[in-house]
Amino acid sequence: MRRSEFIRLTAGMAAAAPVVAAPLLHACGPKSGGAAALVPGEIIGASAAAGHLLRDHTFNAPAEYEAKEAVIIGAGVSGLSAARYLVQHGVRDVVVLDLENQPGGNATWGGNAFSKYPWGAHYVPVPNNNLVEYLDFLQDAKVITGYDEAGLPVYDEFYLCHDPEERLYINGQWQEGLVPNLGLNTAQLAEFRQFFKLIGDFKKLKGADGLDAFSIPVDTSSRDESLRALDRVTMKEWMDSHHLTNEYIRWYVDYCTRDDFGTPFGQVSAWAGIHYFASRKGRAANAAYSDVLTWENGNGFLIEALRKHLDGKVMTGALATSVKPGPAGVEISYLDVASRQLRGFEARHCIIAAPQFVAARLLHDTERGKAVTRHFRYVPWMVANLTVGELSERAGQPGSWDNVIYGSPSLGYVDATHQQIQQRKEKRNLTYYLPLTHVAPEAARKEAYQASHEFWSEKVLSDLERVHPDIRRQTERIDIMLWGHAMVQPLPGMIHGDVRSSLAKSIGEHVHFAHTDLAGVSIFEEGFYQGLKAARKILQQT
Amino acid sequence: MKNTAGRNSAQWVLLVAVFIIATCGLIYELVAGTLASYLLGDSVTQFSIIIGVYLFSMGIGSYLSRFFNDHLLEWFIRIELLVGLVGGFSAILLFLVFPLAFSFQPVLYALVGVTGILVGIEIPLLLRILKDKVEFAELVSRVFTYDYIGALLASLIFPLIFVPYLGLIRTSLFFGLLNVGVGLYLCRYFAGEVRGVAAIRFGGVIILIAEVAAFIFSEQIMSFSETLAYNDHVVYSTSTPYQRIVITKNKHDLRLYLNNNLQFSSADEYRYHEALVHPAMTAAGQPRHVLILGGGDGLAAREILKYKSVSHIQLVDLDPVMTRLFTGQDILSEINRSSLKDPRVMVTNADAFIWLKENKRQFDCIIIDFPDPSGFSVGKLYTTAFYRLLQNAMTPQAVAVVQSTSPYVAPKSFWCVNETLKASGFHTVPYHNYVPSFGEWGYVMASKSAGYQLPDTFAIEKKYISQAVMAQMLQFPEDMLAHEPLEVNKLNNQALVNYFEKEWGKYSEQ
Repeated sequence: MRRSEFIRLTAGMAAAAPVVAAPLLHACGPKSGGAAALVPGEIIGASAAAGHLLRDHTFNAPAEYEAKEAVIIGAGVSGLSAARYLVQHGVRDVVVLDLENQPGGNATWGGNAFSKYPWGAHYVPVPNNNLVEYLDFLQDAKVITGYDEAGLPVYDEFYLCHDPEERLYINGQWQEGLVPNLGLNTAQLAEFRQFFKLIGDFKKLKGADGLDAFSIPVDTSSRDESLRALDRVTMKEWMDSHHLTNEYIRWYVDYCTRDDFGTPFGQVSAWAGIHYFASRKGRAANAAYSDVLTWENGNGFLIEALRKHLDGKVMTGALATSVKPGPAGVEISYLDVASRQLRGFEARHCIIAAPQFVAARLLHDTERGKAVTRHFRYVPWMVANLTVGELSERAGQPGSWDNVIYGSPSLGYVDATHQQIQQRKEKRNLTYYLPLTHVAPEAARKEAYQASHEFWSEKVLSDLERVHPDIRRQTERIDIMLWGHAMVQPLPGMIHGDVRSSLAKSIGEHVHFAHTDLAGVSIFEEGFYQGLKAARKILQQT
Repeated sequence: MKNTAGRNSAQWVLLVAVFIIATCGLIYELVAGTLASYLLGDSVTQFSIIIGVYLFSMGIGSYLSRFFNDHLLEWFIRIELLVGLVGGFSAILLFLVFPLAFSFQPVLYALVGVTGILVGIEIPLLLRILKDKVEFAELVSRVFTYDYIGALLASLIFPLIFVPYLGLIRTSLFFGLLNVGVGLYLCRYFAGEVRGVAAIRFGGVIILIAEVAAFIFSEQIMSFSETLAYNDHVVYSTSTPYQRIVITKNKHDLRLYLNNNLQFSSADEYRYHEALVHPAMTAAGQPRHVLILGGGDGLAAREILKYKSVSHIQLVDLDPVMTRLFTGQDILSEINRSSLKDPRVMVTNADAFIWLKENKRQFDCIIIDFPDPSGFSVGKLYTTAFYRLLQNAMTPQAVAVVQSTSPYVAPKSFWCVNETLKASGFHTVPYHNYVPSFGEWGYVMASKSAGYQLPDTFAIEKKYISQAVMAQMLQFPEDMLAHEPLEVNKLNNQALVNYFEKEWGKYSEQ
């Protein structure tokens, strides 16, 4: 037994030789035409060019307007959730416009012969049990298969993230889970215990108003002054004040806030940072609060479920160009991107389920534009999908769903084929996430749009090469998605300041807003409830 | 003036040669030490003995050097080439010899000894070659300085660069090539002073070519040495996209290994397959439609075909190479009595999980003969998710049976399968028997209704099973119980794989 194992082991060592030599050779070669140049693939934008028409181009009014009960601009989670709710409650004359060729917003997805894969949001945590509408939706989507005698939801096992779930490459090995423990000393481990104790207390805490200190949606959380104070400091300042300062805990929290909010812990509001950890309280018959639900195409699965009742009501390749509220309704113009024709709707109601910087342009509302520029920071992200063959592995925990490298600027990669059940996978699709937080968003965006496919490929491969030495040889394709305005950053003042609520106010009786930037944090539930809230405003009037 | 310069550069060439010899010599010693401590364990002992043997052999070499009286330079070059040959191939030789356990240590120490002796001869030889050309104090100082610097270099680059990047086989070949290269260079450099240059050079080039070839084909050599790891004659071996299949044969039996794990021995497989198949088939009453998941060797099918009631067997095995082998090869279809060629048997090569998910048919009896849950991908085939799909493929009276590893070696794993079946809504009947080539082996029967009755007879041709034997198989002694509450194996916890790794890991350490 041990003999043959050893032979295999050392054979592997020898076999890895040319592989490991490759990066050495590569490092010596000219910087410009590296090996990455050989990896095919393309940059597929979130239609930046078409989107920028809205910024750079003045559109005429369309020749005629089609009558509609409700027009929703943006087929992301908020927009589709609003549309679904309206249709379910009898408002059927609805259309959802989206600039992209596929609905989904941040939850959009792609695919190839081997699997579908996410281009953005790729999982949801086990939901909190008070979110009845959300749970109903998940049951409709067959994610929840029923409830047990205790009334706890039973999740479809194929959708709960399979084991092994997460691993972290740290101190030369893969460890299980993302909370660093391999190679930490007792003092460092004690800080982690202290941190999770504080989080545990926050989870149970209620404010003087009787509400949970940290709840989902964000706006159902307590507004107790002592908690609001957390929104005036950064996560790092809060940690420093609790003497949580070792490099590992700083890395871990920074990783988490970049992962969920695209914001380093030195910039993110402590309230938002704590919310990430302390708001998840979901209970289930067959899962824990820390478990997640995920699919090959990430949250694209949920988008398809949201769209289920919206057949023929989602119009893609449609760039909304203006929204004009009038006394009895709203005039909405849009450009059919394929035919380059300008068209219009005359609607009784309009929900702008797009980010606020888009809303300001649609409404030609310069005041709104100024407020957004002053208070909202949208961080750009780069997401790459790699199609790979069998990769060589470092020691420790085997390949998992989520694979994170300690100290990397990236968030690591997620294996889109992880939820597949077959024994053998010919190829795998890995989705690699990099929030571009190294410089201010504006500069990062500019830099990102100028960089070539080769530049991004090299960035991805040189990062992953540390954990998979043969990744260059094994990668058959890399596609890159650039999200210019991936999400709003919950900086201090965002959650408990008054900008969100003032921007979220409906215009007259007919124009409503729904987007996660108005929630301050970009998570599925917020989008879902943003949509519901806007839809209910319409239903109240009908 | 010109003469001095020539002499001087000859001296430097030889000193560089010393440097390289010292480096290579120590590398061979380190290769041997590393291999020995990996293969035999106890690295302190292995390294200690190998260093001792190596240094002592160098002493022998130094002693032997006195018997070289003439043509010192020629001998120096010959020995250089010899070191390159012996050292260069040392790792390959050790790998090939290793499976023949009895001869490993003698070969190991012989190799270390020979290398030590050869290197030991070289330094004194060199001192004597140079003694007329350089002043003595300076000579000794220079030769040993280069010798020790070479040793330092070797001990640094070996662990930091060569083992991680080249592996052991290629490292030793690389330094072998270096030795031979130095030998050939010296041949050329001293062409005028050395007699029989052509013969020496010819030998050197042959070694060079052999080592380059070995360097290139080192992976193939590795896989060849693997076949030697089996005790018996390997009659067939192949790698499919799914697994490595090896069939061995000796006077007594034929054995099938998948990924180095024994699947059956023809001498006692009837014990396993009778125990796997007949309890479920008998409990199912008069089964007509039977499903086999796994079992590409056709042995479970052979047992099932003994029942007259059976009209159709659906066999689903992942690997087409496996089922083709057991359909077509005479020596194998003799063992399964050509079961896979029987018109009642339908063979489908598919992933069992995916097949089951898409399957709409129902069966009266289902035999599940998967490999042990030794990794996350096979572990999925033992989860509640899989067993719930299984429910859909069973008629109300159907009985399924799952091969469930050894309840003696891995009681938690065995009972975890039982718990998982129960959690998936089944009534279960766990049982076990003794299969000499496997040890104690376990099975779990699962059905939708409770109340298992011991059958009066097993009315088929058999060598092993009977009512009395079955009654015995249901009894679990204390040392095959789990003695703690167990987790249910699910896709999102893979509890079974964790139990299995711990239990079998501990077992194979013994």
